[in-house]
Amino acid sequence: MQLFFEQLTNGLAVGGIYALIALGYTMVYGVLKLINFAHGDLFTIGAYLGLTMLVSMGLTSHLGPLAGILVLTIMVMGLVAVIGALLERVAYRPLRTSPRLSAVVSALGASIFFQNAIMLIYGARFRVYPHDILPVTSITILGLQIPVMRIILFTASIVMMAGLYFFVQRTRTGTAIRAAAIDQGAAKLMGIDVNRVIMYVFLIGPALGGAAGMMVGLYYGQINFTMGWVYGLKAFTAAILGGIGNIPGAMLGGLLLGVIEALGATYISLAWKDAISFLVLILILIFRPTGILGERVADKV
Amino acid sequence: MNKRMVLWLLAGLMAVPLVVGQACAQIRIGLMAPLTGSWASEGRAMKQIVDLLADEVNEAGGILGQKVVIIAEDDGGDPRTASLAAQRLSTQGIVAVIGTYGSSITEATQNIYDENNIVQVATGSTAIRLSEKGLQYFFRTSPRDDEQGLVAANTLKEHNFKRVAILHDNTTYAKGLADEAQALLKADEVEIVLFDALTPGERDYSTILSQLRSRNPDVVLFTGYFPEAGLLLRQKKTMGWDVPFLGGDATNNPDLVSIAGTEAAEGFMFLSPPVPQDLDSAEAVSFMTAYREKYQGDPASVWAVLAGDAFKVLCAAIEGSGSTDPAEIAAFLRTGLEDFQGLTGTIAFDEKGDRVGELYRLYQVDSQGNFVLQQ
Repeated sequence: MQLFFEQLTNGLAVGGIYALIALGYTMVYGVLKLINFAHGDLFTIGAYLGLTMLVSMGLTSHLGPLAGILVLTIMVMGLVAVIGALLERVAYRPLRTSPRLSAVVSALGASIFFQNAIMLIYGARFRVYPHDILPVTSITILGLQIPVMRIILFTASIVMMAGLYFFVQRTRTGTAIRAAAIDQGAAKLMGIDVNRVIMYVFLIGPALGGAAGMMVGLYYGQINFTMGWVYGLKAFTAAILGGIGNIPGAMLGGLLLGVIEALGATYISLAWKDAISFLVLILILIFRPTGILGERVADKV
Repeated sequence: MNKRMVLWLLAGLMAVPLVVGQACAQIRIGLMAPLTGSWASEGRAMKQIVDLLADEVNEAGGILGQKVVIIAEDDGGDPRTASLAAQRLSTQGIVAVIGTYGSSITEATQNIYDENNIVQVATGSTAIRLSEKGLQYFFRTSPRDDEQGLVAANTLKEHNFKRVAILHDNTTYAKGLADEAQALLKADEVEIVLFDALTPGERDYSTILSQLRSRNPDVVLFTGYFPEAGLLLRQKKTMGWDVPFLGGDATNNPDLVSIAGTEAAEGFMFLSPPVPQDLDSAEAVSFMTAYREKYQGDPASVWAVLAGDAFKVLCAAIEGSGSTDPAEIAAFLRTGLEDFQGLTGTIAFDEKGDRVGELYRLYQVDSQGNFVLQQ
């Protein structure tokens, strides 16, 4: 039983990261019906920018660890958001009216471009975040030893997701995003600037992905230019699992995928971990082709 | 008439490379290495070292009076990319090829080179079956997994570990080594409490560590690569679990310590061919001097150095056999190398093309994060 709860927390921690990245996929899909394959690489860029600014500006030594990381997070989110918006302008907007396949190919191209650009700028070797920034203390809850940082990261990802949810549900811009997701033509007729809405989507999704990248860098330490691939794939799976185009679906899908992986690895086989999670995905898609929350919520994003 | 003139002129121009090529003949040696992809750091180091050695040879007048030209192709650390790279290299008039790093990548290219009569000297591919196919032109400067498996099993027995967990990453190399070690340990009635694989390229291995801890092993044998080993050590430390780890030779990379952190890496043991920094032969010392001068710092891993060894034996074989005929080079590599000093010690090959001699040593990470050769 102890092992079960230990693995449950392990799964939730990984799932929180998947969910943050999955939001980027699902928002873009909701509005543009496009899988942004470069999203995993925006996550990598977040990790590298976080490292660069952390080391070069010495934020944590000036402001203390918590405030320093808060400022760092905001800076990383801002920068990755700008890169995301630029990506949309350069790689997707000129193809808005062309067949959908062209945009997908353009997305794959952007992904290869980012990956190699990072490799050429930062080098092919693994980069490592400084080890002494975060406190390595654990607390014991019900006999489980959980590192404090895990709890903080998990809470941070939940807070960000909740923030996004309220932004989309309660603000005017959020309503415009939802409207554009339902019917772009009608949204345009109602006076919504759809290009601007799409730009918002490409600011928010990459910002969350970038923040996830930085969190992975901070907690696990090691980053390299190909890290976006595995996380991107898993997050994409999570988005589909929860119902792509649906924001709460991406959150649920991410957490669920993390937990399925952890429990499958524990009780069936470590090596079969990915096979098990993809099997679950296939089963869910057979019985609910739109994903877990795909249909139930009318106003998709 | 004009048209005909132009045609003749074009034909003449096309012949120019042929004539020029004859005039300054070169010996072309291919290098197939993972210059991009997740092993890019290894591949780039391989290229640096081979380039350095080739420059040295050319400054000294080349081989058989001809310049050596290195033609590098990227295998991307991926079997499909590698077979394309091998096909491209085969059309470029190379006599031999150096590479590559991963066993499954090398395997994808073996037949291509063999059919094209090109001598292949692999540098990091330790899977047993690569040299069991009876290929005439295949050699390797790296040792085989069964030798390493034997050393791993002996090391674990010498340290009196009774309960061993074995973890690999499902690559040809890591699985082969894990199987080998498991068979030997079982034969000696050491209890294997867990035998399983992780997925390389992930960041979070706490699920796997929790599972390992629940089986309560005396030691964990991890046969995968350094990025995962570093993360395992770091997360093991965070969990507050104190179990010794023994790694295979793919963990021999200084980045292991930077990923894990000095504290978490301390005490980690691994098996590896010795790096030139730890050897005091004349070849190793002069190579280290040249390397430090050109690239500042030490080579990042022993595998790139084995690419240098591959280059050195090829040069020796071309020189020794006085020919660029692949059959003669291959014959010389099998029988002609006598007491040849490479960068990692004496090099000779057996009938299968495997490197002969005990190569593996036990290393341990000290409290400063240095790799210390254990006597």
